[in-house]
Amino acid sequence: MNYNSRPAISVLITLAFTLLLLSCTSSNRLQGYVYYRLKASPSTLDPALISDVASATIAAKLFNGLVRLKGNLEIAPDIAQKWSISKNGLRYTFFLKKGVQFPNGREVRARDFKYSFERVLNPATKSPNTWVFDKVEGVREFLEGRAGEVKGFKVKSDYVFEIILKKPFSPFLSMLTMTPAYVVPREEVEKWGVDFSSHPSGTGPFTLKEWLPDRELLLARRTDYFDGNSRVRGIAYRIIAEDLTAVTEFELGNIDVIALPASAYSRFKNDRKWSRYIISREGLNTYYLGLNSSRPPFNDPELRRAVSYAIDREKILNTFYEGRGKLAVGPVPDLLRKWDIKTPVRYDPKLAGKIIRDKGLKGMKVDMYVSADKEVVDLAEIIQAYLARVGINVNIKQLEWSAYKEAVNKGEPDMFWLSWWADYPDPENFLFPLFHSRNIGAGGNRVRYINKEVDSLIEKGQYSVNEKKRDYFYQKAEEIIIKDSPWVFFWHKTDYVITQPWIRGCRVYPVYSMDKGMEIKTDLAVN
Amino acid sequence: MKICGGKFFKGGFAIKGYILKRLILLVPLMFAITLFAFFLLKALPGDPVLGLVGERASPEIIESIRKEMGTDKGFVSQYIGYLKLLLKGDLGRSYYTNRDVLTDISLKFPNTMMLAFAAMLVSVPLGIALGFLSALSANRRSRFLEKLIDTISISGLSIPVFWSAIIIMMIFSLKLKLFPPSGTGDIRFLVLPAVVLAIPATATLARVTKTTVIDILKMPYITTARSKGLSLTRINLIHVLRNAIIPIVTIIGLDFGSYLNGAVVTETIFGWDGLGRFTMEGIIKRDYPVIMGCIIVGTVVFVIVNLITDVIYQYLDPRIRLNVKKG
Repeated sequence: MNYNSRPAISVLITLAFTLLLLSCTSSNRLQGYVYYRLKASPSTLDPALISDVASATIAAKLFNGLVRLKGNLEIAPDIAQKWSISKNGLRYTFFLKKGVQFPNGREVRARDFKYSFERVLNPATKSPNTWVFDKVEGVREFLEGRAGEVKGFKVKSDYVFEIILKKPFSPFLSMLTMTPAYVVPREEVEKWGVDFSSHPSGTGPFTLKEWLPDRELLLARRTDYFDGNSRVRGIAYRIIAEDLTAVTEFELGNIDVIALPASAYSRFKNDRKWSRYIISREGLNTYYLGLNSSRPPFNDPELRRAVSYAIDREKILNTFYEGRGKLAVGPVPDLLRKWDIKTPVRYDPKLAGKIIRDKGLKGMKVDMYVSADKEVVDLAEIIQAYLARVGINVNIKQLEWSAYKEAVNKGEPDMFWLSWWADYPDPENFLFPLFHSRNIGAGGNRVRYINKEVDSLIEKGQYSVNEKKRDYFYQKAEEIIIKDSPWVFFWHKTDYVITQPWIRGCRVYPVYSMDKGMEIKTDLAVN
Repeated sequence: MKICGGKFFKGGFAIKGYILKRLILLVPLMFAITLFAFFLLKALPGDPVLGLVGERASPEIIESIRKEMGTDKGFVSQYIGYLKLLLKGDLGRSYYTNRDVLTDISLKFPNTMMLAFAAMLVSVPLGIALGFLSALSANRRSRFLEKLIDTISISGLSIPVFWSAIIIMMIFSLKLKLFPPSGTGDIRFLVLPAVVLAIPATATLARVTKTTVIDILKMPYITTARSKGLSLTRINLIHVLRNAIIPIVTIIGLDFGSYLNGAVVTETIFGWDGLGRFTMEGIIKRDYPVIMGCIIVGTVVFVIVNLITDVIYQYLDPRIRLNVKKG
C-alpha cells in the first residue's frame, strides 16, 4: 500500500462510520400512536374560531357537542343522550348525559352549553361562525349589545338545556354537530384568554399532549372518556407541506395514514401491494365552474346553458381526473339528495354552437379566473379548448389563492373554478349559501345568482318541519337552478386515503367532524 | 508587491467606530425597508380577513375583525401604528395563529442558522477545492479535470433546487434509507437539506475561485515566487489563496446572508422548521405581521453578515481600509 494513500483511506472510513451512525435505523415513533399527515399547521384549536378543515378535524377529537353525526350521516346523541323538538319546530330540548367530564374533572352541565354558545356569539370573541346560531331567538339583540344574554338558550336544570328558535329551521339540529357548537369549560377559557386556542380543553376522547407549530401535534388518549376508550394510545399529526415528501414518509412507514395526493393516485392504485390499502368514499362536495350571472354576457340563462352543453364533463372526469369522483348533475351531492333529477344538462356541443351563433356571440371573449394550482390550471385549459370549439374565447387568469378569493368574492371574473364542501349533511347547505340572493359574494353565492322563486323555495324548505315537504321545496329549487345553470356542475370528488398494512378500522368520513379517532387501531409494535 | 504579514490591522478604535456607524445606519435603512415592504403588502391584491374567516362569516364580523387588525384604517395611520409597536420591540401577533411573531421567529431562526452553517460547511471547502483544482489543471496539457469540474459546477448552478431535493430524497431516504426525508431535529435531519442547499453554493464558489486563481497565477509575483524555487504547496497556499480570498469571502458572505433569511424551497420540501417556510406560509396567507417580522429580522441579519464580511476583509488584506473617517 502506498504510504500517501493512508490518510485518504482513514478519512473514507471515518466518513462511512459517521454515515452509519447517522443513518435512521431507529424511528422516533411513540408506541401505540397512529401517525397522520397534515398539509399545514392548524391555525387555532379554539372551536369558536375554527374555520378550516384541518383544525376542525383535530377539534373533533378534543371536544363534543350536544349531538354528532354517525355512520350514514344520521344525527346521534353526543353529550345529549336524547332530545325532543316541539311540534311547531321552535323548541329543542336536550337531556344531557350525567358524568361527562372536562379534563380538569368538572362535570358538564347545561350552563356550560349556554356559556359556550354565547361565547361564539359574543362580539369580543370575533368568531367567524356566528351564523351557526343566527336563527336562535334573541341573538340579534345579544349581538347588538341590547341584551346581556341570548334569550333562546335556556338552562332548565343542570342536565336539561333548551334552545328556542325565532322561526322553524329544519337544518338546525345537523348544524349543532359543527365545531362551533362544541362545549368548552369556562374556567379554562378565562384562565388562558387568547391562548386558549393553543391550550384547548374539552370533553373529547383525546387531550392535546404537545403542539410544535409547523412540526408536529400530539393527542393523547383519555382513559375517562364517557363513550368508551379509543383503541390507540394517541394520535400524532406530522405537518408536511409537500405532497411528495409526505408520500415518501408514508412509503418509509413513518406515517400510517395519508390522504392520497392526486399526483400519487395512479401509482398506488396500479401497485398490487398497495391498492388493497386504499380506502375511498364519495365526498360531500361539489366542484363547479361558476358563471357570473349578474352582468353580460352570462346574465343570460340560455348562454349559460350553452356553456354547460359545450363541455364534455364526463370525459374530463374519466380521463384527466382519472375517475376520482362522481359526475354532478346539480349542486346537491347524491348522498344527500332524496329525489331524482329528470332534466340534467348533457354534453351537446352542436346545440351549444347553435345557441351562440343565433345570439351573434361567436368569437366572444370572457375571462376565466383560476387559483395558481397546477391541476386547476390544466383543467382550465381543457375547458378553454372545449369552449373555443363553440366560439367562446376564454382568457385564463391565474391568481394566488387569497387574491383569487378576493376577486371572486367581488364578482370580478366572468367564469371561475371553485368547489363547495359540506359543513353539515343537509341539502340546504348546498342551496341556501350558494344560490340565495342574501348570500351574494363572500356569503357563498359567488356567481351572484338572483332568482326570487329559488329564494322563496329555499326559505320554504328551511321552515318546513315536515321532511317530505322540505324535500319537495329543495327539489323544485334545485331543478330551477339546473335549468338556469349559473354553475357548470362538474363532479363530487371522491376522497382517497391509503393506510399501512398494520392499520385497522380506518375509515373515510364525508364530514370532518365525524372522525373522533375511536375506530382506528394500530398493530405496529415500536421498540 | 508586498505580501501581507505583520500588522493585521491598525486602530481597534477606528474599527469600533466603523461598526457603530454601520449599525446606526441600520435605523434609517429599517425605516425605508419597513415603509417599502408595508407599501408593497398593502398594494398587493388579497385580503387577510377573508382567508381568516372561512366561507360564511357575516359582514359585521368581517368588519369587526378588520377593525381589530387595524386594516380598515388608512395606510399612514396603519404604518405609524406598526412603527410604534416596533419601537417597543414588538413584532405583533400572527393573524392566524395569534402567536407572538418575535417568539416564533426566535424559535425558527436557530434552525435556519443551523441549516445555513451546515450548508456552508459543505460548500466552502468543497467549492474552494474544486475551484483551485480546476484552475491548476487549466494550465496543464490535458484539461480533462478542468472540464469535468466545470461541467459539475455548471450543472450544480443550473439544476433547480426542488429537483435536486427530490432526487436526493429519493436516493438517500427512499432507496438507501440513510436519512429521514423530513422533519426538524438532530443532525440526521440536517444532512439532506444542507447538501441540497450546498449544491448551488459550491458551484458558485468553485467558479469564482477558479477565475480568481487563474488571474493570480498570471501575476508577476507568482513567477517570482516560482523562480525563487518555492514549493508548489507554499505558492498555492500562501501566495495564491491569500490573494484570492477576497472575492471568495464576498461570495461566502452573500450566500450565508441569504441562507440565514431562510431557504424557502429546501425548507418546505424537507419539512425543516425554519424561517424560509415560516415566511412563505405568511406570504401565502397574507399574514402581514409575520411577513413584516421576517423582513425586518432578515434585513438586520443581512446587514450584520455584510458588516462582518467587511471587517474580515480588513483582517485578510490590510490593503483594504474600511472607510472610517470620510464616512
